[in-house]
Amino acid sequence: MPLLEIEGLVVHYGKAIALEGVTLTVEPGELVGVLGPNGAGKTTLLKAVSRVVPASGRLSFKNRDLGPMPAHKVVGEGICHCPEGRRLFPELTVLKNLMLGAYLRDDKDGIAADLERVYGLFPVLRERRTQQASTLSGGEQQMVAIGRALMGRPSLLLLDEPSVGIAHRLKNEIFRAIRDIRDSGTAILLVEQDARSAMAVADRIYVLEHGRVTHEGTPASLADDDSIRQAYLGV
Amino acid sequence: MIEILVYGAVISAIYAMLAVGFTLIFGVARILNLAHGAFYALGAYTVYALTANLHVPLLVAAAIAVVGVGLFGVAVERVLVRPLRRSQLAVLMITLSVGLMVEQVLLLTFGSEARNVPSMVEGAYEILGADISAQRLLALAASIVILAGLWLFMQHTRLGSAILAISQDAEAARYMGIPSDRIYSIVMGISAGIAAAAGVLVAPFQTVIPSMGLLPLVKAFSIVIVGGLGSIPGSILGALLLGYTETLIAFEVSIEWSQIVSVAAVLLTLVLRPAGLLGKRAAF
Repeated sequence: MPLLEIEGLVVHYGKAIALEGVTLTVEPGELVGVLGPNGAGKTTLLKAVSRVVPASGRLSFKNRDLGPMPAHKVVGEGICHCPEGRRLFPELTVLKNLMLGAYLRDDKDGIAADLERVYGLFPVLRERRTQQASTLSGGEQQMVAIGRALMGRPSLLLLDEPSVGIAHRLKNEIFRAIRDIRDSGTAILLVEQDARSAMAVADRIYVLEHGRVTHEGTPASLADDDSIRQAYLGV
Repeated sequence: MIEILVYGAVISAIYAMLAVGFTLIFGVARILNLAHGAFYALGAYTVYALTANLHVPLLVAAAIAVVGVGLFGVAVERVLVRPLRRSQLAVLMITLSVGLMVEQVLLLTFGSEARNVPSMVEGAYEILGADISAQRLLALAASIVILAGLWLFMQHTRLGSAILAISQDAEAARYMGIPSDRIYSIVMGISAGIAAAAGVLVAPFQTVIPSMGLLPLVKAFSIVIVGGLGSIPGSILGALLLGYTETLIAFEVSIEWSQIVSVAAVLLTLVLRPAGLLGKRAAF
């Protein structure tokens, strides 16, 4: 049984249509990548899952309908969203940003264990924990954003463009962490423009164009497709 | 000289209480609350009604006033503001209506004549040769305690972090599972409760009349424009600047002239530094 099932998802922004009937599944523990050009609806797809933008169609998680839930209830179900552009709380410390990710939780020991896990994934955050989030580099801010989402102990992590605006060395570190998170059992729905990095880590890939899924398959099968190779891998 | 120092501190502290609540609800929920002065007046009148008519002990009456007005603030947010929050203009109009309505209800219930609220502490202290009434010193001490308490609450509780988070990025706060509607109600309650506390503390040495909330609303608004709308440190700084300048002018020139300070400060700020002293961006 899939962890997340999306069927015929439609999202409008006023008269403009952003998603035209997207169908997609994520299995427990699976890393699913969503590729596509700018404006294809990738970010909208994640926001629809988080219930931050209104959507019609079927949206179910662990066999429960997300449709009627407000955004803050979705987090409690185990879906944590690491948004596009990181969106840290700029004037709060790194530690406070991370702890806000655990806002809905009351299990002190579990929170402490997850904080250690985040510091284990990104050791630099332990040194930076008392610094204001806005003073960090782009890559470090991305680590805080991912760590903050992990503090909600998600069974599904939504990752929106984690590699944008980040130095190459830090990008490798972030993708290594993404792989680690998947290996520890957390399912991930990863939206990414950097197709090469996404295909290197993902179990399955969906290609989204103009609000529709145009291709889906394993990274290997998509790499054999000439149109995908030209459009996304540039070879 | 000592009078200016102490009187200035008292008036600054009261202004700070008003301005911090006003800026807090704007910074978090983008509510420009024109009923803020009404919360202050309600605080003073609640204490008056409970002590003069029902002979409730003063401290109990003060506590009831702060909590009661806080709950009234929650109700105003929940019932009147929330359905209109998409429009800044509608929020402005509905809070203005609440302010006017409270004033009219006070007028119809208590009449237009000034009411006396007894001091919580009697007597006066001599500080370096200047006589200062104990009630003013109590007002100063209580507002420092309340503002320090608010600061500790914001820095060291989960709810405080959530309030700061929403004020810095409301959408990101939703991704954390923070229920923003509930937080807006709570902040409105805190803001109203602090305004009521200010009203309760000054009631013994201020004129308690139905329109007593208007001037504090203007002052609070001026202070947060000077300090930077949405900035709590900015509103405390603005309160000190305005409180001391007014006191200085009241002592050295005349009380009438002191009232022009806030207007002049707002004009200067909007022309020279629209974001305010510690604000991040222009609010208008």
